[in-house]
Amino acid sequence: MNLETAIRLTEILLGFAFIQQSIEHLTVFSNERRLFLARLILALLLIIGIQTAWINFLLLLLGLAILNVFQGPYNGGADRMSLLILSCLCLAHLAPTPHWQELAFGYLALQLILSYFISGWVKVVNPEWRNGQALRDVFQFSAYPVSESLRQLSQSPRLLLSMSWWVILFELLFPLALVSSTSLIVALIFAAMFHLSNAFLFGLNRFFWIWITAYPSIIWFQSRIFS
Amino acid sequence: MKLFQTIKLLLPALIPSWDFFESIAPSPRIQFSLLNSEKQTDKHWAEFRPRPQYVSLIKMLKRMLWNPWWNESLFLVSCAERIVGNSSPELILHSEQEIFKRIKNDLLQKHQSLTASHFQFRLVFVQRQGKELKEEVAFISRIQAVASEESQ
Repeated sequence: MNLETAIRLTEILLGFAFIQQSIEHLTVFSNERRLFLARLILALLLIIGIQTAWINFLLLLLGLAILNVFQGPYNGGADRMSLLILSCLCLAHLAPTPHWQELAFGYLALQLILSYFISGWVKVVNPEWRNGQALRDVFQFSAYPVSESLRQLSQSPRLLLSMSWWVILFELLFPLALVSSTSLIVALIFAAMFHLSNAFLFGLNRFFWIWITAYPSIIWFQSRIFS
Repeated sequence: MKLFQTIKLLLPALIPSWDFFESIAPSPRIQFSLLNSEKQTDKHWAEFRPRPQYVSLIKMLKRMLWNPWWNESLFLVSCAERIVGNSSPELILHSEQEIFKRIKNDLLQKHQSLTASHFQFRLVFVQRQGKELKEEVAFISRIQAVASEESQ
């Protein structure tokens, strides 16, 4: 995948992710509705591909306004990833030379790799993750499980211990997938399934869509560095 | 000042920490009480938006595209954490207002024949101590009139 295609594909996926997020805000308070209606329209224009440099810039400004309204991210890591993607796209459009453009978009790929690796690292150094207790706590009393019945999973320590190690190993080993395009695609499919299960179990639907949005950057990055 | 604040909010997105679930912190529950007057002392606390007993696979699939209620609830968890965290008075006030606004909205939407004139919320944090789960009330809000404009 060449840089231009990867950037365009990222913009299209970002447009769909923003439409999904924005629609969720249209039925609530008027101040939110105005902001997210504007985001919805800009996201549509981004998908169509009209003046994408300007649209990205306007979406970034709107993202900052939304950040101020909620005094921080509304949806934690998903909003932060949205702003990171937008910032990298804006810089890629502003870049004076192809070299700087690659650096800007490559930064997104690097952060995507780190998003998995650091998540794995902070878990593997924590004894409660290594013995499965942390994941038991997540199911037993954290705010994330979407139903009371899911809390019963905390009573399956062996299952949660193996799940903990699957997550830790996958996240830590993710950077190794860059060695070939095939291994990367397999790793991204696993990663998407991981986000999908988080969306099902913990209601983190926005994480699924926004992380997938960053995937073209890493596919381009792998071919740029290793091919 | 506004620019400085915006940069401060943006920086964690540009240089993310990616430390998801590094440790499992005490988890907030929002409870609210309906009051007939500001001076009512006997209070019955009810959990705000208790999670359902069961969510079907079909519903989970639908929520991939439409999940506003849950995402709003996760935002309120962030607000609760900000209130008891090391936040500025302005941020605590903002978070309290956000929780007021959404409780009030739910009350007015779901309880058409609401007789209470006021309401209040509190934050109960659940954490594991040894093998036991402990609950601790960490914050009690001001009392808010149901009809007030403050939380709009």
